[in-house]
Amino acid sequence: MEPGLLKSADWPALIDVYFFLGGMAGGAFVIATVANLLDRERYRDIVRIGYYVAFLAVIPGPVLLTVDLGLPTRFLHMLMVAKPSDAIGMDAITIGPFHLKPFSPMNAGAWALLGFSLFAFLAALDVFLEGRGGRSMRTLRVVVGVIGGFFGFFLAAYPGVLLGATARPLFIGAHWLGALFLAIGASTGGAAIAFVLSLSGGQRGDALSRLMRFTAFALIVQLAALALFMLTVSTSGSAGIARSLSHLVAGPYGVPFWLGAVVIGIVVPLALQFAGVIRKTAPAMTALVSVLILVGGFVVKYVIIAAGQAT
Amino acid sequence: MARTLAMFTDVSLCIGCRACQVACKQWNQLAPEEPEWTGTYQNHHHFTDKSYRLVRFFEETDDKGQIKQWHMMSDVCKHCAQAGCLEACPTGAIYRTEYGTVNINQDICNGCRYCVSACPFGVVAFNHDTGTATKCTFCNDRIHNGLGPACAKACPTQSIKFGFRDELAVVARKRVDELKTLGYKDARLYGEDTAGDLGGLNAFFLLLGKPSIYGLPEKPKLPQKNVVVDSLLSIGSALIVGLGALVAFRGRGGQGDA
Repeated sequence: MEPGLLKSADWPALIDVYFFLGGMAGGAFVIATVANLLDRERYRDIVRIGYYVAFLAVIPGPVLLTVDLGLPTRFLHMLMVAKPSDAIGMDAITIGPFHLKPFSPMNAGAWALLGFSLFAFLAALDVFLEGRGGRSMRTLRVVVGVIGGFFGFFLAAYPGVLLGATARPLFIGAHWLGALFLAIGASTGGAAIAFVLSLSGGQRGDALSRLMRFTAFALIVQLAALALFMLTVSTSGSAGIARSLSHLVAGPYGVPFWLGAVVIGIVVPLALQFAGVIRKTAPAMTALVSVLILVGGFVVKYVIIAAGQAT
Repeated sequence: MARTLAMFTDVSLCIGCRACQVACKQWNQLAPEEPEWTGTYQNHHHFTDKSYRLVRFFEETDDKGQIKQWHMMSDVCKHCAQAGCLEACPTGAIYRTEYGTVNINQDICNGCRYCVSACPFGVVAFNHDTGTATKCTFCNDRIHNGLGPACAKACPTQSIKFGFRDELAVVARKRVDELKTLGYKDARLYGEDTAGDLGGLNAFFLLLGKPSIYGLPEKPKLPQKNVVVDSLLSIGSALIVGLGALVAFRGRGGQGDA
C-alpha cells in the first residue's frame, strides 16, 4: 500500500488527551472495583480515590470531543441516526432513533463513554456520600463497580482498536494497539491513584505497596504489548509500513518514543519497583514514580498516534 | 435493493483531457482551488474536498529510468461493496443507497474524520468550511433522475462508462480480451470481481499494467476486518490485567512488594 495516497484524519492532540484520560479513568475504576470486591475496609482509600479519579478524568472526555467536532449537537450524531440499519454498515443495530455499529469502534466507544460516565458518577457519588457520614449501599456499589468496570475496560482499549480499524500503514496491521492501550490505562490508572494516595498520606497498611505492585505488573503487560505491536508491524513486509515504523522509532518521534515512552515511562519505574526503592522510600518516591508512569503513558499514545497520522 | 449501478473506467481510452474533472466540478458546484505543482500534468496531488474526480498522470519507467509509457487514469471514489468509510462512520451519515453506491449525508456527518483515515484509497476528504467529510456521490441527484454522472456524460472517448454493474462487467471482460489480442499483455481489470477485495468495487477499472503504476493498492483491505482480532487481543489483555489486580490485592497483610 502506498502511504502517500492515503489520507489522515489529522486529529489534534486534544484527542490524544481524551484517549489518555479515558484510559486512566477506566484503569482507576477497575482497580477501585477489584479493591472494593476483595476488602472494602482495608482498601478504603484506594476505592475512594480510584472512583474519584475515574469520574474526574472522564468529565473532560465529552468536552474535548465536542471541541474537536465544533458543535455540541454533533456529539449526539454518534448515537442517533434516522436510517435503516442495513444501510449503515455490517451488523448495525437500530433501536428507535439510536444506533449501534459494532464494527465502528468510534460509535461503540461513544456508547461506552456514555455508559462509563454514568457508572463513574454513581460510584463517585457513593464514596462521596459515605465520606460525608452517609451509609454506602454495599450491594449497589458492587453492581455499579462491576458493570462500570466492563465499561472501564472498554473505554481504555477501544481507542487502540479504533486506530487499528483505519487504513493508516502503521495501524492497519498492528493488531496489538487495543491490548497496549488497555495496559496503559491500567498502569496510568494505578499511578494516578498512587500519586494522590502518596501525597494525601491516607494509605494504611500495605495498600499502597500492593497498588504499586499491581501498577508494576500493568507496566510489564504494557511493555510486552508494545514489543508485540512493534514486532507485528515490523514483520508485515510492506515498505510503506516499515517506513511508518521507522518514523516512530528512528524518525522525529524516535527520541520521545525511546526516552519518554520506554525509559521514563516503563523501564525506570520498573527498575525502582524491583530494586525495592519505592517501598523503602514511600511515599515520596511513589509520587515521583507515579508521575513518570503518567508522563510515559501519555507520551507512548501521543507518539504512536502522531507517527501513524504523519506517515 | 435496485440493480447495482457502476462505473467502468477504461484507461486505454483515456486521453487525459480532464473533461470529467471539469464536469464534476461544475455539476457539483465545487469551488475553484489553488493549483498544485505535482511534477506532471496532474492537478491536484490527490482528491480534495473540492475535487471528487481526478485525472492522474503517471510516467512508467524502465530499468534505466527511461520513460516507457505514459499512463492516464481518471480516478474516482470506488463505492466499494465493503466500504471502509461507511463501516467506520460512527454516525450513520455514510450510507448505502438502493443502487449500491456510497453517500455521505451532509446533515448528519459530524466531522469526526474517521472515514478519512479509513478509506483504503484515500478518497474521502474533509471540508474545513462545512466541517464535514465529502466525496463523489456518482452524482446522486442525477442518477436518481435517470441521468448518468456528469463525468461519464462528459467523457469524449467513453473511457468512463456508467450503467448496470453486471452489464458493464461483461463489456469490461470483453475489452480486456480485445486489448490482449492487440498486444497489451498486462491489461487487467481492477475491482470488477465481486468475490475479490472489498467485495468488488462499484467503480472498477481496466488498467494496462500493475495497479501500483496507477497509485492503487495491489490488495486493498477493509480496515474493519481487524476489529475482531484486535478486540480479542484487548480482551486477553483485560483478563491478564484483571487477574493481576486480583492477585495483587488478594490475601492478608504482609509486604506487597514485587
